[in-house]
Amino acid sequence: MKKNTAVGMLILGSLELLGTAAYAESDPEDIIKYRQNVMKANGAHMAAAGAILQGKVDYKKDLAYHAKTLQTINSDIPALFPKGSDFGDTKALDGVWAKRADFEKRAKDTRAKADAFVKAAGGDTKAALAKFKELSDSCKACHKDFRKEEK
Amino acid sequence: MNASRLLAFVGATLFAGSVFAAEPAMDRGEYLFRAAGCGGCHTDEKNKGPALAGGAAIKTPRGTFYAPNITPDPTYGVGRWSEADFFRATREGLNPDGAHYYPSFPYASYTRLTDDDLRALWNYLRRQAPVTQASRPHELPWYVRSRSLLSTWKALYFTPGAWQPRPDKDETWNRGAYLAEAVGHCGECHTPRDSLGGPRRGLHFAGTREGPDDSVVPNITPDKKTGIGRWRKSEIIEYLDSGMTPEGDFAGDVMAEVIDRSTSRLTPPDREAIAVYLLSLPPVEHAVRKEKKKPAKGKDAFGF
Repeated sequence: MKKNTAVGMLILGSLELLGTAAYAESDPEDIIKYRQNVMKANGAHMAAAGAILQGKVDYKKDLAYHAKTLQTINSDIPALFPKGSDFGDTKALDGVWAKRADFEKRAKDTRAKADAFVKAAGGDTKAALAKFKELSDSCKACHKDFRKEEK
Repeated sequence: MNASRLLAFVGATLFAGSVFAAEPAMDRGEYLFRAAGCGGCHTDEKNKGPALAGGAAIKTPRGTFYAPNITPDPTYGVGRWSEADFFRATREGLNPDGAHYYPSFPYASYTRLTDDDLRALWNYLRRQAPVTQASRPHELPWYVRSRSLLSTWKALYFTPGAWQPRPDKDETWNRGAYLAEAVGHCGECHTPRDSLGGPRRGLHFAGTREGPDDSVVPNITPDKKTGIGRWRKSEIIEYLDSGMTPEGDFAGDVMAEVIDRSTSRLTPPDREAIAVYLLSLPPVEHAVRKEKKKPAKGKDAFGF
């Protein structure tokens, strides 16, 4: 029995290694496409949360869900920009890789602002809107330094 | 503006020492200075350079330009200038020696500023800290190095003179037009240029693939397919304030700077005026965005 478990673990371990290897060999264009899709989702939840907070639509009960999703997406933005994913159909500027520490600082700030937004989202609208605006500013600050408007 | 100044004055007088006194009405020159985005070119923010002492490189298809030191330093800045010199620079595109400026200095837009606003701007500039730092010379290809060519450019494309309000349009529209065309000089980037660097006819605000620093500058006419025709007024106002698009994307690059420095600092009525004006422009169908590339090469239909 014990032996079987050990063999099972070994197989699982090997599968995991295979998975990692497959990831490392991803086509850069696929990584770029993936991150663009994730970022689009990021934007969609920002737009949705914004519409609720500005009173344009009455979905206040969904605000927590949008906030939580934004928190999840923004928990590790640098992971979406691995080495080698700079060449292709991307608007990411070279600084994402060349000035990695600055980039990670920006991402850390966005993560902190998303965390704060989650905490405020359950409370009164005014406080939540203030945290939403701080998160917005953080998105813009990072795009300002690290994303080309179009290229 | 006058009313708010009066209020601030009354406030400061009545409540001296209270919170009211801590908020003086913004100086008109400072407001215009922000709205016009002078610091965007004249301050090298990328390299943390001193304010207004000369800007970072602006790469264009016709050479690399460096905006000069406009602090009141007598040697390297505009410390020896008179108000008349400043008027001549902004209104006519001439330096105090009478030489032409390159139109990278957006005098084709600033010429539309009113006398009062130019005066307020000049007074604001004169109060800034002088910085002893030489301006960097432009780096230009040989064929545009002669400044005498610029008289031809001016003859073709430049009509000096302050903005004249259109009596058939309301106050909001006129304010928006003034802010977008003169102060904010949107067209300097958003209008494509021809081979001589002049604005292309019929494509006013219609975007270009040859923007500064190789950027693609979007079409901001209200064309539904290629411009901002599907944006609502409130969405344009939101974008100019926070940088968020209707899709929840955020401005980056040069436009994020413009929003931080200028449009987010305008009064809400001024942002609304710009939105009203943009939506009133004739829609121009002009696609500038890049076609999406086909999926990766060397793969079969199943992606293997």
